[in-house]
Amino acid sequence: MTAAGFIVRNALRNKRRLSLTILSVALSLFLFVTLQTALRELTEPQTSADAALRLITRHRLSVATVLPQKYLNRIRQVPGVVAVSQFTWLGGIYQDEKNFFPQFAVDADTIFRVMTEISVDPLQVAAFAKERTACIVGIKTMERFGWKVGDRITLLSQIWNCSPELVIRGVYSGGIDESNLFFHHDYFDELMDGFGKTGAFWMRVRDEASVQPVIDAIDSSFRNSEAETKTETERAFQLGFVSMFGNIQMLIGSISTVIVFTMLLVTASTMSMAIRERMREIAVLKVIGFNGREIFGLILAESFGLAVVGGILGCGGARLLYGSVDIYSLTQGFFTKFEVTPHIFVSGLLLAGALGVFSCLAPAWASIRMSVLDGLREVD
Amino acid sequence: MQPIVQIRNLCRVYRQGEIEVAALNNVSLDIVEGGFTALMGPSGSGKSTLLHIIAGIDRPTNGSCAVRGVNVAELSETELAEWRNSQIGFIFQTFNLIPVLSAFENVEMPLLLTSLSGAERRAHVEAALELVGLQDRMHHLPRQLSGGQEQRVAIARALVTDPTLIVADEPTGNLDARAAMDVLELLTVLNRDAGKTIIMVTHDPRAAGYARRVLHLEKGELLRDEEIKSV
Repeated sequence: MTAAGFIVRNALRNKRRLSLTILSVALSLFLFVTLQTALRELTEPQTSADAALRLITRHRLSVATVLPQKYLNRIRQVPGVVAVSQFTWLGGIYQDEKNFFPQFAVDADTIFRVMTEISVDPLQVAAFAKERTACIVGIKTMERFGWKVGDRITLLSQIWNCSPELVIRGVYSGGIDESNLFFHHDYFDELMDGFGKTGAFWMRVRDEASVQPVIDAIDSSFRNSEAETKTETERAFQLGFVSMFGNIQMLIGSISTVIVFTMLLVTASTMSMAIRERMREIAVLKVIGFNGREIFGLILAESFGLAVVGGILGCGGARLLYGSVDIYSLTQGFFTKFEVTPHIFVSGLLLAGALGVFSCLAPAWASIRMSVLDGLREVD
Repeated sequence: MQPIVQIRNLCRVYRQGEIEVAALNNVSLDIVEGGFTALMGPSGSGKSTLLHIIAGIDRPTNGSCAVRGVNVAELSETELAEWRNSQIGFIFQTFNLIPVLSAFENVEMPLLLTSLSGAERRAHVEAALELVGLQDRMHHLPRQLSGGQEQRVAIARALVTDPTLIVADEPTGNLDARAAMDVLELLTVLNRDAGKTIIMVTHDPRAAGYARRVLHLEKGELLRDEEIKSV
């Protein structure tokens, strides 16, 4: 027999309690990993390599405030801008409120020069460009609703007073979000009786060196105008969008803290019970020559092992689950990948290990301090 | 015969709140190597306290207790644990085997603290279990053994490290007459044939009759020191 074998035998002596404790640690870790993954997804939105060269000009006040359409020509003329498209959020639903997905009114002739990472059949792009009510839809939305090219759909905007009647002329794939629908901004303007406004301008710049000069040129051009602008990279724009949810980091951090604390109490309670009922045996170990350090090591190893097994089940379970389910469909596009990264996985395991250590400190210390005679007087 | 245990002016006072209770009061005695000594007396006479101090699991309030010249009271807790492992084999009234370990593993426990290899440990454990007549029960768990067999496993655990002293606290207290006799005969064999020094606490005169010397204690004082000529 080895010391490790003895630790395992001790851990297995009450199998029901062991299973319940490991399960509670595993569930807590599963929840912790889920929250951390959600936090990462929300605060570190995925970006493609092309996104570094993509800029967004929006109203300086907020993303919800529109800009004059006439800005388009001035932005187009800024040195370094390769292509620019209007980008207005329709906020529409298809037939029912639960059938929500992102739809944007865009400039048909430039949108695919701005969104270069998505792939569409050039014939479909051409068909889209020449028909005012045409639209191009991401593959995931096509699959979600079982649409085919040529289908006619009607969207009911929840923001604007319009209901675009569209015909699907193409399907795109690639990019970080394959659920969008793009339709003509001209058609949107017509439905809105010559609205003359746009939600934002999305543009592609020539190279990385052009990014800051273009930002400065656009924003200084509209300073002190009727609608001042804020131009930023796609990543900064996405983070700004997330901040509209409020201090989500603090919210998730608070919930995670509660989970960790609960887990600590559960593990500490189990270890206290397990050690309390073994005080007599610990006294016997002392009699046959085990010193305080060795007894502390035995208790620590048992607690650590128990917590780490729970951690592996919880973190591993989350990694397997989120790796195998279609999180995009499940969350109706709210989360795109929901990847449990190695960093989150290892953080979860480290947390489990730390909890295993901390939860046994009090009972281990009590067992070290206990005199042999007091331990031998303990009733089984 | 050389004294293996030398006790001088030993006192042990317990405090219960404001009240002080003297469990041992100025006890002095020697125990020779190879002896089989029984400590007898009524409840509260101090016999178990004396045994615990000799075994290094309690400390005297005053006086000294030296085993092979080492004053046990002067050792730190860590030194004391190491000393107990190499010098003392303890047999309890309630056996105190670890329920999740087999007879073999229970006997092996004290050897985990030594530098012996796995094969050496196995040889020692098998020899100890053979000595107590349980070589065919070595893979049984304590709950699969009778009380007498459990106590024999405990005796094997006590002698597996080849200690200087085997101390037994009421070793027959939880056994029926037949099993008690077996255990006492085993202790006699260990003393007579293997030369082990044994100190046994008992309140049973029949058990004490197996010893070669009986020390009678009462109210914490050594009342009588009696040599037994034959069993």
